[in-house]
Amino acid sequence: MKQLVLIILSLFIISFAKAQIAIDTLSTEALNNLLIEQVERLAEDGDEDADYEDLLENYIFLSENPVNLNSDEIMQLVELRLITVFQFEALQQYRRYYGDFLFLDELAMVEGLDEQTVAIIRPVVCIEKDYSKDKITFNKMARYGKHQIVGRFEQVLEKQQGYLPIDDSVLLDRPNSRYLGSPQKYQLKYTYNYRNKIRAGFVLEKDAGELFFTDKVGDTIQKLLGNTNSRGFDFAGFHLYAKDLGFVKAAVLGDYQLAFGQGLTLWSGMSFGKAGAGSSVMKQGRGITPKGSASEYGFMRGAAVTFGGGPFSGTVFYSHRWVDANVSVADSLDEAELVSSLQETGYHRTIGELQDRHAIRQQIVGGHLAYAIAHFEVGYTAQHTWLSTPLELRPSHYNQFYFQGKRLTNHGVDFKYVKGKYAVFGEASMSLNYDSTNLQQPRRPWAVAGLVGLTVKPAGYLNFTIMYRDYGKSYQNLSGNAFGEAGRNQGQRGIYLGVEAAPAPYWNLLAYADQFQFTWLTSQVNAPSSGHDYYLRISHSFNRRTQAYLQFRSKTKMKNSMDAFVFSHYPIFYTKNTVRFNINYQIGWDLHCSNKAEYAYYHNDDGSNEHGYFLCQDIAYKPENRPYSLAFRYAIFDAKDYNARVYAYENDVLYSFSVPALYGKGMRFYLLGKVKLFNALTLYARIGRTIYSDRDEIGSGLTLIEGNHKTDLKVEAIWKL
Amino acid sequence: MKKLLLLITIILSTSTIFAYDLIHPIGGRASAMGSSSVAAQGLWAMQNNPAGMATLKKISLGLYYENRWLLPETAYKCGAFALPTKFGTLGLSFNQFGSSKYNENKFGLAYAKDFGKYLQIGLQLDYLMLKIGNDYGKYNAVTFELGIQSHITDKLTLGTYIFNPVNFSFEQTLYHEKLPIVMRFGLAYQFTKDFIGQCEIEKDTEKDGISLRGGLEYEAFKSFYIRAGVQTNPGILSFGLGYAIRFAQINVAAQLHNELGASVQIGMIFSIGK
Repeated sequence: MKQLVLIILSLFIISFAKAQIAIDTLSTEALNNLLIEQVERLAEDGDEDADYEDLLENYIFLSENPVNLNSDEIMQLVELRLITVFQFEALQQYRRYYGDFLFLDELAMVEGLDEQTVAIIRPVVCIEKDYSKDKITFNKMARYGKHQIVGRFEQVLEKQQGYLPIDDSVLLDRPNSRYLGSPQKYQLKYTYNYRNKIRAGFVLEKDAGELFFTDKVGDTIQKLLGNTNSRGFDFAGFHLYAKDLGFVKAAVLGDYQLAFGQGLTLWSGMSFGKAGAGSSVMKQGRGITPKGSASEYGFMRGAAVTFGGGPFSGTVFYSHRWVDANVSVADSLDEAELVSSLQETGYHRTIGELQDRHAIRQQIVGGHLAYAIAHFEVGYTAQHTWLSTPLELRPSHYNQFYFQGKRLTNHGVDFKYVKGKYAVFGEASMSLNYDSTNLQQPRRPWAVAGLVGLTVKPAGYLNFTIMYRDYGKSYQNLSGNAFGEAGRNQGQRGIYLGVEAAPAPYWNLLAYADQFQFTWLTSQVNAPSSGHDYYLRISHSFNRRTQAYLQFRSKTKMKNSMDAFVFSHYPIFYTKNTVRFNINYQIGWDLHCSNKAEYAYYHNDDGSNEHGYFLCQDIAYKPENRPYSLAFRYAIFDAKDYNARVYAYENDVLYSFSVPALYGKGMRFYLLGKVKLFNALTLYARIGRTIYSDRDEIGSGLTLIEGNHKTDLKVEAIWKL
Repeated sequence: MKKLLLLITIILSTSTIFAYDLIHPIGGRASAMGSSSVAAQGLWAMQNNPAGMATLKKISLGLYYENRWLLPETAYKCGAFALPTKFGTLGLSFNQFGSSKYNENKFGLAYAKDFGKYLQIGLQLDYLMLKIGNDYGKYNAVTFELGIQSHITDKLTLGTYIFNPVNFSFEQTLYHEKLPIVMRFGLAYQFTKDFIGQCEIEKDTEKDGISLRGGLEYEAFKSFYIRAGVQTNPGILSFGLGYAIRFAQINVAAQLHNELGASVQIGMIFSIGK
């Protein structure tokens, strides 16, 4: 039976060889579109300055180094939420019944994989010999290993306030009123990969405004800088990673990320959280992954090893990292130092930012134990963080349950059960915050947090999820990242209900409702508050080259009233509703087009109503078998204020991502070009400009630009060997 | 006590007191599915959309109790009886909301007829009574409710329902209490044999905005149902369980409101016949 099918399939492949190529290029687009949507949702949820590269580098790595469909590596697809655990089971079952995959087209025959999922995963899987048991020799590593060097340059072409010349006396008076370095951003990255088993690399970066050459600065700055004069790249990192070395399942040295269970106890780095919603709220801890991106916070630096045998596996790790913090001398008598806040921007452009740079040492030690049998998995995670200088936040009502002092311990137990139509998952975690002076005496009793969820799949094309979370108001975690509204997994309760369905061929539906409460005050909310988040997305594939979706989102939360006539600022409700329509289509083989329209409506109980509009046209010219391509966007936007802002993902040079928040009135366009000079070298360049019609200056503070336009330029070179 | 105060504030802040709680969908199943019910069948359809009663095969008696925000003063009680006959289904119902100090009552006489697969029509005549304690008075009104349903495919059912379509009101009250017109329409979609999704939209002329509702029901094991739903304006998430045997069914639900907390609903239906 299988052979017959394969013969038919191969006939199909031969006779439609040309079509096949086109489908392949489209398939990468399906993955791209998925990521674009998720990143847009992430940006809407408030992590604007976030470095998406850290989150997306795993996807890019996957698309460049496809996983073997006939091996356990496809678990990575679940970890990256490209398929659900049910679809993973379906793939395993297919292999058990019919043997290994021989053609990628067989994917279409796996029950439970809809055409959209197939389109997404097709470019990131391959069929090859299983190398995981192969012996690693130096010869092979030299021969089959892939090297890659990426160099990037970025700059805003207009002069920003922070770079304008300034009088020395003024600078002495207000040292933070200028950036020290040049407005260019440079990044250099090298990576090596041998069959996904051995990976290594380093990254160097200088952000815009950061100082590179100390000898170029004036005497005043030299004086202000004091002895911190050895500069160069502001950020540098490396990693060395190996996996499947017999008893050692994975080992890393340098920068890495850890992700276990549902992320409540330990999940360094970012996660899509609610943005990747749908059935995929169940997280799949990835264990150790090397970190190659240049993001400057939210990662581990040190070493980690995972051992495994039979159903057991264990991970131990140690991380030692200098983090940015605002250090002050608390007591002039004994000169005891205190930290008033931890900085997470990664920018070191002004004197003030430079003084905070790497001010304190953060050490984390911990481990994870897991026991996994056929359908069931249980894990235990523990970590202990300590800072070299105690953190003493400026006292405020909202932050009194935040982490303070020097030491924090977290313990957590997670579980997962996936069988047939059901998946049950959860994690419970505890935290204990020790004081700086007395190690025996914790600041507070144990604080707890937990989440539990159930996903049911009544039929292959349909699933729904119910999840409950309750994070105690004094539960603290410096490197956790579980499902939730807003950044911290602290002082929050909520219920989530989500459905994902393909009610008819080529139609997909995704909807969720999340109702949440903050059990304590939060920043700018002077009382415990509540809110809800509704989301509905209907998508349709008209044909293989035309996809469209319509998306509604309504989010209600609370924020202090800004009414000038009230004496005390109490929280009021505000709602932001957005409607978005997006269509991607293709004209002929070479022209890819896309349109997006978005309407945002913001209103609050103070009576303010704001509307935002966004329209754009994308055209990409990607001629087949040519070494170049071009992409162009023209967009107009009109949003009175920041509250009705609109986020729109922009195509960018490879490994870079931008989702600018647009508000005000104006237009934006960009032109992105790619050219493959010879086989190994690819060049990218992008120029984008925003022109405002309602203002004469853009931005504020040091990023202020006199004028109504802002132009950004990026150039990138990628060398592959 | 705190909850009661909050509730009173909220009730007072809405423009009308009457008919706020008496018209909402009832039944343990509808409550668990975000109050979506306009395209559903069964005994409680008498209250939610009388057309859904047309396909009833058995003589049924139902009892329903709801406790809004866990306050005894906001209890909702309902008893209903339906008799399928050759020429349509006849129904009788009594609903009461409130306590002895303030209560709303509705006596209903319903009739529904099945005109084949594509059309079911239902009608209920209502006698409404509002009683305010301490001799503040007793007021009454008469109105009716109408509904239609259509099984347009094997999987898809559409429904429309209107309460008080000709806008009767309580003429006699001191406060000129108005009766709202409430209109709902929506659909039920049978994804698989054991999985149903429902959604609908409601407009109540005495409230601001519209309310959207959606719900899911899954028959996890034989005759054992799990349900969940959501409604907006006010934002409520709801969950419930149901169990059915040949002559009886019991459905329980909980509705969670962010500020007011939980409401519980329980409904029982006993039926005789084949």
